[in-house]
Amino acid sequence: MLKSVTRALQLSARLSSRSSANRTAPISRSFWSLRSPGAAAASRPKILTAARALPTLSCGCGGLHTDGDKAFAEFLTEEIKEEKKIQKSKSLPKMSGGWELELNGTEAKLIRSLSGEKVTITFNVNNSIPPQLEEEPEQTQKSQEEEPDIVSTPNFVVEVTKSGAKNSLVFDCHFPEDEVGHGDGEEESDIFTIREVSFQPEGEEDWKETSYTLNTDSLDWALYDHLMDFLADRGVDNTFADELMELSTALEHQEYIKFLEDLGTFVKCK
Amino acid sequence: MGVIVRNLQNVVPVRRARLRRDVEILRHIFGVQKFDMGIICVDNRKIQRINHTYRRRNQPTDVLSFPFYEDLRPGKVPCALQRDEYNLGDIFLGVEYVMQQCKETKQDLHQTLTVVTAHGICHLLGYRHETEEEWNEMQQKESYILSEFNRLTGSHLEPLTKR
Repeated sequence: MLKSVTRALQLSARLSSRSSANRTAPISRSFWSLRSPGAAAASRPKILTAARALPTLSCGCGGLHTDGDKAFAEFLTEEIKEEKKIQKSKSLPKMSGGWELELNGTEAKLIRSLSGEKVTITFNVNNSIPPQLEEEPEQTQKSQEEEPDIVSTPNFVVEVTKSGAKNSLVFDCHFPEDEVGHGDGEEESDIFTIREVSFQPEGEEDWKETSYTLNTDSLDWALYDHLMDFLADRGVDNTFADELMELSTALEHQEYIKFLEDLGTFVKCK
Repeated sequence: MGVIVRNLQNVVPVRRARLRRDVEILRHIFGVQKFDMGIICVDNRKIQRINHTYRRRNQPTDVLSFPFYEDLRPGKVPCALQRDEYNLGDIFLGVEYVMQQCKETKQDLHQTLTVVTAHGICHLLGYRHETEEEWNEMQQKESYILSEFNRLTGSHLEPLTKR
């Protein structure tokens, strides 16, 4: 629930940041007209019917078309144009290190085989943009002038499978929130952290809760460092994490534009 | 907590377990194994910014120490009363800078990081090298620490504070 609210806030912030003037588009659908269409509406006082008449557009789809929908569609057309303008490239950035990318909607898998081992990274770009924190008052002016970059920092799962082994070793990894969005601050967090480690049946979508899960919150730091080195030996290091952020940001933006296009098509009913 | 290792950069591949092991040995030789310490690996850009902010020197460097205890007599182990006072402070390792130097001198990165960390711990314990007297005092300490390190690990490390 919290995630969806955050996402809604981010979406509204993103929409409003470039096109705030368009936010005042009139809402022309009224409740009474929805309840009382057709002849019944004609008996209503003139003042209401004149101001809030139902739109006359019809495309034979059986759906409702209002002035609001028209304004919405126009707004989306502009928004898509703006988003495409700032889109760095239509193709996704390549990961170094020979990772093979598989996409399924908003979910991405990076796969690499190395000396009898298979390493699979899975992440989903949904809910991957951390909320922009309120800046200090003296920085507000600057942040209004220079819109902060939207960076996608998804949680990602690393699955290491050894040939012949019954279970895979699975790492639940995160980008610490204080590292994101502050750029030149004096943060002292690692670029990414391991939050949990567990053995899981290979290729299982759901985390098997009956497997022992090592939580790194209260872990011996020496063991933690060995786990980080283990991942680095398999190509999951800070360079990888930075590239994954770039890939995820590009994919999230691509999916966002696609969503806006689908929304525009749905609203316009074409 | 002991030693906290952080790696904030992606320029140099740092072996965290190796770095920790060497820092733990140094901590033991210095006799400060009860004290917490942060080891933070950063790139040139970050260490230059810290150097500029805190020392007014706008250039990258190999190591910057931030002691928890400000006015220690060199070499004196702090007298901590509370648990949170068992803290020596943080050492920022300019691993990119050290890597560049290692390439020039054909030295091993992790061995050099041990030498640089020993230098950093000396600073956490109040050693300075502003005057010749301070320089000699720090050099002696570093030589002793590294000779012990060499004895325990079979390494051949030499101190950073050399003329």
